[in-house]
Amino acid sequence: MTEIEMVPTPRARILVVDDSSLVRLYYRDALEKGGFEVEHAINGIEAMEKVLAQAFDLLIVDVNMPRMDGFAFLRALRRSAREVATIPALIITTEAGEQDIEDARAAGANFYLVKPISQADLLRHTVVLTGASP
Amino acid sequence: MARSEAHESRAVHITQEDVRRLCEFLYRRTGLSFADSKRYFIDRRLAERIAVTQSASFQAYFAILRSDAEHEIEHLVNAFTVNETYFYREEHQLRCMTSSLLGDVARGKKAGQPIRIWSIPCSTGEEPYSIAIWLMENWSQVDSYNIEIVGSDIDTRALKAAADGVYGDRALMRLSRQVIDRYFQPVAADKHQIDPGLRNSIQFTRVNLVDAQDLARYRDFDIVFCRNVLIYFDDASRRMAAENLYDCLRPGGYICLGHSETMSRISPLFRVCRFSDAIVYQRPEADHDRN
Amino acid sequence: MPLVRRDPTASPPPSQGSQGDLASHIAALSGQDAEDRWIAARALGGHADAVPALAAALGAEQVPRVREAIMTALMRIGDAASVIALVPYLRSQDAGLRAAATEALQAMSGAVMPFMTSLFWDGDSDVRLLATELARNMPAAEATHLLCSLLEHEQHPNVCAAAVEVLAEVGTREAIPALEACAGRFAGTPFLPFAVSIAIARISNTES
Repeated sequence: MTEIEMVPTPRARILVVDDSSLVRLYYRDALEKGGFEVEHAINGIEAMEKVLAQAFDLLIVDVNMPRMDGFAFLRALRRSAREVATIPALIITTEAGEQDIEDARAAGANFYLVKPISQADLLRHTVVLTGASP
Repeated sequence: MARSEAHESRAVHITQEDVRRLCEFLYRRTGLSFADSKRYFIDRRLAERIAVTQSASFQAYFAILRSDAEHEIEHLVNAFTVNETYFYREEHQLRCMTSSLLGDVARGKKAGQPIRIWSIPCSTGEEPYSIAIWLMENWSQVDSYNIEIVGSDIDTRALKAAADGVYGDRALMRLSRQVIDRYFQPVAADKHQIDPGLRNSIQFTRVNLVDAQDLARYRDFDIVFCRNVLIYFDDASRRMAAENLYDCLRPGGYICLGHSETMSRISPLFRVCRFSDAIVYQRPEADHDRN
Repeated sequence: MPLVRRDPTASPPPSQGSQGDLASHIAALSGQDAEDRWIAARALGGHADAVPALAAALGAEQVPRVREAIMTALMRIGDAASVIALVPYLRSQDAGLRAAATEALQAMSGAVMPFMTSLFWDGDSDVRLLATELARNMPAAEATHLLCSLLEHEQHPNVCAAAVEVLAEVGTREAIPALEACAGRFAGTPFLPFAVSIAIARISNTES
């Protein structure tokens, strides 16, 4: 009987971009338990540095951050080299108005959630957006 | 209950949560982070700084750190890092210069236009001399351009030492025997001096990076090495220094920070550029509206 | 040797743009050329009389680096007038402008202190949320007192979360009752109980 070798699936890599340390901990806690690898950044500039240096499957990006906010980061990202410009991005805002949804889309977000978000919801959306098997 | 004897080591109680709070503060403020495996190392350095600042508790020390009294952030970070300066330190940035940056810089030059490189702070000169030597040893086009290298610092004693160009063996530890023979002369049992030709090719000047007036005549630099100083400035000074450096760079010019520094904690004026050897920053070629 | 030694200080004197008096710099703030506006903003840092002009220019400025220079100038002035000029930008629709105003105000913690209570009672939850950041550079006792009084009346979970975040860094043990009460009020909501437990753990080893 031949043995089939299983190639281990690499864990999907998520970059959490939020200047709140407690939010980053909360998301990391949920995502790591869900089997994801998590990196973080506190603003759009650090996020850009990390995105240029490492591969990510999904970006989770807060809007309100110092020095380079979430929208500005996404706009800069979408203008960058192809391999980073197309990374899926989930933007997290505090508002749910039409203008905010439009702003998110114009900046290049693929998806949009309003905080506060539960760990279960965050994990569920991340699984869907990375195409990870449940 | 404080005892007055200087020799007594009264252990201040530090919890793991205190360390987490400290690490989070440091990460936010400087961008430095420590893997969990390195946390033990932090405990010792933190205990040293608490003792040196004569803090009665972690809370008292943390207040000093948060207000950056007497440059405590710099002292704490220095306690975690290797501080000695030597030739070819952070060689990956020198490699980036020759393998990536200079090609771009040279492309934009008209005939006769010099390439201008600035080391600020230059301290006792290891950095500007390293840049010069590296270029001559590693850049194939080095003889096709006039290259102006300037080394600047606020400390006049360091500048004098830089101009003298005398170094101990330890500073030369990364250099090969051939390079040492080519650019240095032995002047004592354990000291070498940079050859006079090279010494006289570098301009050393005194400047204050935060003072726009001081820097008004520093313009059109193609590459600036500004390592391990910006991150320690206070909020307003960091911004002023970044704006000054922006003006000192040519549009499209590059700036390299210390390897644990990041513009994310300093200024949004510069574009992040990723090359195979290093991340560097660039003054944009042109303004664009916020879009 | 391809190295050429040249003394930068032997260059011709700086361009006229950065010379000139207060009035001409203020006029240049609304000029057509971004570089002229940049030079003007940089020259006005530290000049308290320029606050109204800088504040007005901030709202109109579209070029990011000029906006940064205007912010720096206001930060360097750092007086009550600068605070009053910057606070309205906390309400801006533009996330970048809100963040920039927050950063500038955060650096003026002394001048901002008298305004904190009114900011914490502002009708706009985004203003209250951003105002929590302004306590970050204040001494622990003051910051704790201000943030706890906010927590006691605040209904909006995102504002509470922002206050808890700052308390996790700057808070003293005095904050623990207000934090526990907050977790109680928002029990069963996604984030706050988690955040409060971490904040309490972080600040438990503090004395008053």
